[in-house]
Amino acid sequence: MAIAHSIQSIPFLSNFSESVLAYPIVMSTHLLCIAFFGGMILITNLRLLGLTFKSLTITEVVTSFRPWKRLGAVIMIGTGLMLATCEAEKYAPNPYFWTKMIILGLIFVHGAIFRPIVYLRTKELDASPVIPAKAKLAAILSLVLWTAMFTMGRLIAYWDTD
Amino acid sequence: MLLQNAVADALNSADWAFALAECVHIGGFAIGVGSIAVLDFRMLNLGLRHETAGRILRYTEPWTLVALVLVFFSGAALFLSQTEIYLVNLIFPIKMYVLAAALLFNFTIHRKVAQMESPPPALSKSVAGVSLLLWAAVVFGGLFTGFLI
Repeated sequence: MAIAHSIQSIPFLSNFSESVLAYPIVMSTHLLCIAFFGGMILITNLRLLGLTFKSLTITEVVTSFRPWKRLGAVIMIGTGLMLATCEAEKYAPNPYFWTKMIILGLIFVHGAIFRPIVYLRTKELDASPVIPAKAKLAAILSLVLWTAMFTMGRLIAYWDTD
Repeated sequence: MLLQNAVADALNSADWAFALAECVHIGGFAIGVGSIAVLDFRMLNLGLRHETAGRILRYTEPWTLVALVLVFFSGAALFLSQTEIYLVNLIFPIKMYVLAAALLFNFTIHRKVAQMESPPPALSKSVAGVSLLLWAAVVFGGLFTGFLI
């Protein structure tokens, strides 16, 4: 708790959390990223499941979105860090926050597992007559993880200490 | 009064019901705005170049429509559960006007330009830009509405 208190007392963060406009603007940006970049994640996964964008190759869908999803991740993590650290004492005991962080960790594990065998091998997936099961599994797990991610994000606001 | 209605009773009597409606609302706008943003991304010529904007629209439109239905019903439930608060909120009416503008733009000009065979690039890009700005304003309006409650 002492650590949480000293984090949120950093002048930049305490000014930020006390600002009437900056805090909701950063939170809106965090939320807007869910739509702009979450849409790309959704379409990528639906393409891997063979449900839409069928006239485009998996390779084109995945590579078109890749740089933008990276930009999205940077904005998401940057704004998320500001939101959590400026109220570190409130977030530190919040079980929804930590569940969300565990899911974020699982998203990185998902990437580590499926990047080399699915997302970096899209030419193989396009050449295959049917979309391989590993690609569909990657897509379903990704959709489940991201749904859990934004749900936990919303639930953070519902936990209170009393 | 409006506040005493079945929806309000259901959402206020169970904490999880309001939270669920909020999650459906967020998930819904992510799918809805996200699917429109992917089309704008193509219209801005940032990727998916091997397919026309018209074809991308045909792929994304069903997702946009399903998402709008989810967002509409979850949004209506949230509104009916706390009508008095929304009616005095300063940002909420602005959000609704911007939402009306975004919907109107989306299903008229945006749709028409996306379906054009070879629109002037400047037209395509400016229409996509306006679309992204309008939807960004709706999301900002939603969050600011919550901050003023």
